[in-house]
Amino acid sequence: MIKTGIVREPRRVKALLLFTAGVFLSVFIILPMVTIFREALKAGVAGYLKSFVDPGVAFSIRLSLLTVLICVPVNTFFGVVLAWLVTKYEFPGKKLLITVVEVPFSVSPVIAGLLFIFLFGSFGWFGTWLTDHNIKIVFAVPGIVLATLFVSFPFVARELTPLMRELGKDDEEAALTLGASGLQIFWKVTLPNIKWGLLYGIILTNARAMGEFGAVSVVSGLVRGVTTTMPLYIDILYGEYMFKSAFAVASLLTFLAVVTIIVKAVLEYAIAVQRKSGEVQI
Amino acid sequence: MGIEIRNINKKFGNFVALSDISIAIPKGEITALLGPSGCGKTTLLRIIAGLETPDSGVIKFSGEDQTNKRVKDRKVGFVFQHYALFRHMNVFENIAFGLRVRPRKIRPDRKAIHESVMRLVALVQLEGYVNRFPSELSGGQRQRVALARALAVEPSVLLLDEPFGALDAKVRKELRRWLRRLHDEIHVTSVFVTHDQDEALEVSDTIVIVNKGKIEQAGSPEAVCDFPANPFVADFLSDINRPIVTRKKKTLAGVINDDRQGI
Repeated sequence: MIKTGIVREPRRVKALLLFTAGVFLSVFIILPMVTIFREALKAGVAGYLKSFVDPGVAFSIRLSLLTVLICVPVNTFFGVVLAWLVTKYEFPGKKLLITVVEVPFSVSPVIAGLLFIFLFGSFGWFGTWLTDHNIKIVFAVPGIVLATLFVSFPFVARELTPLMRELGKDDEEAALTLGASGLQIFWKVTLPNIKWGLLYGIILTNARAMGEFGAVSVVSGLVRGVTTTMPLYIDILYGEYMFKSAFAVASLLTFLAVVTIIVKAVLEYAIAVQRKSGEVQI
Repeated sequence: MGIEIRNINKKFGNFVALSDISIAIPKGEITALLGPSGCGKTTLLRIIAGLETPDSGVIKFSGEDQTNKRVKDRKVGFVFQHYALFRHMNVFENIAFGLRVRPRKIRPDRKAIHESVMRLVALVQLEGYVNRFPSELSGGQRQRVALARALAVEPSVLLLDEPFGALDAKVRKELRRWLRRLHDEIHVTSVFVTHDQDEALEVSDTIVIVNKGKIEQAGSPEAVCDFPANPFVADFLSDINRPIVTRKKKTLAGVINDDRQGI
């Protein structure tokens, strides 16, 4: 917020910029969101709620929840481990590791999906072995979970690495000299220091895991009632002209996304406050 | 004997941080490790604490070998330059930390913890501050909390890494006098690292002058000042005896010299 007169643009410029931003946001964000809820509620609240009784819809919600419930804890755990490794220790190949972590972000989700087909599909590297042992990964729930794990992996590590680097090792070393064990140091010293950044990473992981379409679509094979997550099922419903149900599921996903954004904003504020108090201390 | 350091070597990559260091640190005294920055003094302190592992050599406390002991088993109190207080804990919790993390069998009960913390709070003169958080304290107060926290575990050795380095000049002087008086009360074997000659002379009983990973001289403040062992020591300690030289240096560095008292 610039209150002083350093920037002395004419008022017209400000008005024009505001107008442009307003139009852009309305057309690309607010309008679509309103449409989703309007379409979903076209048949009234009763009709809206009825959409969720449909077994396909109910299944897609359950599968998405299951995926999130597996991916978020797993990626949180590995994200913390990774951030801990690259910020507290020195080892050869560290820079490479930090770069490799970003791969899921730079690779197209479709490629990520194909990668799992190449690995675990019937003609893939482990395909024969998996078929022999009667294990289904591709076109089954494990494939969905693996693809989601892959695309939502970097968030926690990416959020924590700069934060933990900034915090340094002093607190942990102090706890060590005071006789704390590794676990005690993590729970009583490190975790309280990184909790806001960690939550932020978890929220982002959750958002991505819930909304992922591309990678999951490739490994899913769209077996209805087996591998259809919420985003996939919305696509199926829409393709079959079942607009009411499609928009009902879409509205639920959008609602969750909005909640995510609100939580994220609150966390950003909390992190800013923590950074500020950190500055005072150092 | 307090701390015995024998043939300690430490390299970081190709950089020789410490080269064959051997020294005995007297029990119950304050010893200063004095030297220019990058001379290896902090590395030596961290090796004594167990926060770094030497490439070779032996560390003993009161004759007992510590070289292969883990940090948490060495019973050292360590005070960091930037305090390293736990920012989500108040003063009381910070000081109590070392007692609370003990295994259940040797952990004091609530009342005992409360008593020891309050005793330390009184020792570092922070009565009335126990509920404050680190962000609500001044630099000098934070460093006193850090000291109390280190003393809470009743360490056999107290190690201080540039303990006054982050403080402004006035507080620094007050705090080092205070530390000297405090040590006269508690007599724990203490080693502190500094690059400030005045600080070393004022606070310590013994000064160990370190340069480029080697010990140049060790002795009482009087001994090293009056009988420097070599040109480096003479030059390094000369700054305190020749204030005019210091002043000239400052002028060269670009500080505007507008008071005439010095020259």
